[in-house]
Amino acid sequence: MSTKGASLKGLLLVTLLVSHMLLTKEGVTSLPICPNGSVNCQLSLEELFDRAVKLSHYIHFLSSEMFNEFDERYAQGRGFIAKAVNSCHTASLTTPEDKEQAQQIHHEDLLNIILGVLRSWNDPLIHLASEVQRMKEAPETILWKAVEIEEQNKRLLEGMEKIVGRVQSGEVENDIYTPWDGLPSLQLADEDSRLFAFYNLLHCLRRDSHKIDNYLKVLKCRLIHDNNC
Amino acid sequence: DLLQQPQISKCRSPEMETFSCFWTAGNFYNLTVPRIIQLLYKKSNEEDWKECPDYITSGQNSCYFNASYTSVWTPYCVQLASKNEVYDKKCFSVDEIVLPDPPVHLNWTLLNTSQTGIHGDIQVRWDPPPTADVRKGWITLEYELQYKEVNETKWKELKPRLSTMAPLYSLKTARDYEIRIRSRQRTSEKFGEFSEILYVSFSQIGIGCDHCTEEVEFPWYLVVVFGVCGLAVTVISIMLSKQPRLKMLIFPPVPVPKIKGIDPDLLKKGKLDEVNSILACHDSYKTQLYSDDLWVEFIELDIEDPDEKNRASDTDRLLSEDHLKSHNCLGAKDDDSGRASCCEPDIPETDFSASDTCDATSDSDQFKKATEKEEDLLCLDRQDNDESLPSFANTDPQGQHRNAPSENSLLWAPFGDSIESPHPSVHTQISNQNSLTSTDFYAQVSDITPAGRVVLSPGQKSKLGRAQREGCTEQNFTVDNTYFCEADVKKCIAVTSHEENEPHVQEQGYNEDGYFTTESLTTTVANLGASTAAPPSSETPVADYTSIHIVQSPQGLVLNATALPVPDKEFNVSCGYVSTDQLNKIMP
Repeated sequence: MSTKGASLKGLLLVTLLVSHMLLTKEGVTSLPICPNGSVNCQLSLEELFDRAVKLSHYIHFLSSEMFNEFDERYAQGRGFIAKAVNSCHTASLTTPEDKEQAQQIHHEDLLNIILGVLRSWNDPLIHLASEVQRMKEAPETILWKAVEIEEQNKRLLEGMEKIVGRVQSGEVENDIYTPWDGLPSLQLADEDSRLFAFYNLLHCLRRDSHKIDNYLKVLKCRLIHDNNC
Repeated sequence: DLLQQPQISKCRSPEMETFSCFWTAGNFYNLTVPRIIQLLYKKSNEEDWKECPDYITSGQNSCYFNASYTSVWTPYCVQLASKNEVYDKKCFSVDEIVLPDPPVHLNWTLLNTSQTGIHGDIQVRWDPPPTADVRKGWITLEYELQYKEVNETKWKELKPRLSTMAPLYSLKTARDYEIRIRSRQRTSEKFGEFSEILYVSFSQIGIGCDHCTEEVEFPWYLVVVFGVCGLAVTVISIMLSKQPRLKMLIFPPVPVPKIKGIDPDLLKKGKLDEVNSILACHDSYKTQLYSDDLWVEFIELDIEDPDEKNRASDTDRLLSEDHLKSHNCLGAKDDDSGRASCCEPDIPETDFSASDTCDATSDSDQFKKATEKEEDLLCLDRQDNDESLPSFANTDPQGQHRNAPSENSLLWAPFGDSIESPHPSVHTQISNQNSLTSTDFYAQVSDITPAGRVVLSPGQKSKLGRAQREGCTEQNFTVDNTYFCEADVKKCIAVTSHEENEPHVQEQGYNEDGYFTTESLTTTVANLGASTAAPPSSETPVADYTSIHIVQSPQGLVLNATALPVPDKEFNVSCGYVSTDQLNKIMP
């Protein structure tokens, strides 16, 4: 019977797909995933933090490399370094500046700060990815990294929101956020100014990603390993 | 000598909690007026320059910023200045200048040793730099380990790792090693300083191998030797294997030259006659044969010779009795010919006298001498062929079989016809020849038997030139007789009239002079499975060809005569020749 054969085939296909889904692993590392259909599927906090730290480290690594490449390629001889003392759009957020402050801040506040910074970078990253493509002879690596950072940032945001949902006892405060208005500077007609705007943005990105990476590691050691990493 | 300004050499933070800046003083201190150098700093969000809080802790020409002064992700600017002037300025943020201290407390433990005791594995452990707070996760470090033998110069590196332990495998227990480690912040590129060197000595823990100082190097020569042997064994086994497929796969057979229609086995078994018969079918071979055959004499007629033009066609001359009587050698008037005819006294060639050549003995060697032998052939017509001539004319070539299919105008093929009698189907064509009622005049001597007999080849067409007709009597098979009639043979060979009328006898392979190629001869021979010809018996009808027994100069050749029982049909020869194959068949 053709229908029987078709249904058998369909069953086989479904079986293959399901097994494939179960066997494949996604994400930055091979972390366990929830089987389909499980309502109470919950990753442990440790696993959530592990994932978050890995993502934040990866994002910082990419942004660091992207900045170095941009510096080598576009910024040499333009004196950008001298102007490196600039302000990032996230400077208005109060973030711990040293170990002491990081030790003393409450973990929930720190989580909120992390969330705020990540949200503040959502918008600039999108525009960075699109504007980098218009750069003159943008190398493939910078382009790819910009896109990758934007993607991973979204995932880290999701993961952080999950962590916050687990850790937060009270209400989730979502007001930590800084808007970004640097888009016009990325589209300046003057090449020098435009390149400086990019340089600035990439520099800020590197710094903020380092911040977040550090904060998460501190939190992880504090909450998971009890200050004994 | 040049005045060097004070410069900020570097700013460094070992643990991302404090940082220090170092500078070089330059030559200014040598001046009489001591200048006071200050280091000023400013955070990005501040307006004023402040002076360095601590000039001492980090040593001379340094400025130390403790934790209270350090904001990690805040941009700083420092400048080296004295009262009046600024010597140097630098801007940075603390997270960019992190260079950790070296690890401490290096030690090693033995994991295991090899069975021979020559090699050993160790585990190296260390502690992170004490200043770096890795426990709280404030800073994440990775380490790079380097090691080398004591007397070596180049360090070997391990990949940077996060853990504070590393194994080292396959160290030689007879040697001592040095190990050093350095660290860096995980997301940075620059490493800090190296730690103190750790010395590894196996002998200290009693494992040192005193007797195994020799190093076992990889026996490359053994590998080569065994590889070659194995390859040889494989090749030999393949060659000897019975599997033809495998053999063909590895050793594809080299294509040997192959002639269509010829079985290589024929060549192997030595049946040259059969091969020749087959080859006779191929024009190219015939051409080659003729070109190489020394006995082929190409008659060149000078077309501009008025005498020649006035002459009647050679054919007529050849065929007319008068001509036969009057001229012994036809067409010998080609001055261009390199060969002299012994029959013509006009030819002033002195290479050989006619008598000499025509006196050629039956020695086979003599036959093989170049032109002389050819002239002997030319002299063949000197025999009293007159008597034989009529027999020629009377003989009805039609009587011979007419059946053999002619494959070409020259009728080589008929000779190769195995079905038919050896008589060429030329006969059929001969009937077409108006001018040539008789047959070819010449027969090419294709081979000389070891006994000294000459084997004539079947002529394919008669060339007008020297008519080498000999008396062709069926009965004349005595030793003293001339060879058998070329005319008969010519009769047997298709000759196109127009070709015969050509005064110009050109040098072309088989076309020349109506010589009969060995192939055509032997074709018939081969068909009958006979070898070299033997003279036919006197009783039986004579075949087309016979072998020449001796050449009696200047009269001609002496043909072999043997009594051979021959089936009638095979010796249905009008010209009194016996084909070699017939003879061979006859001969025991």
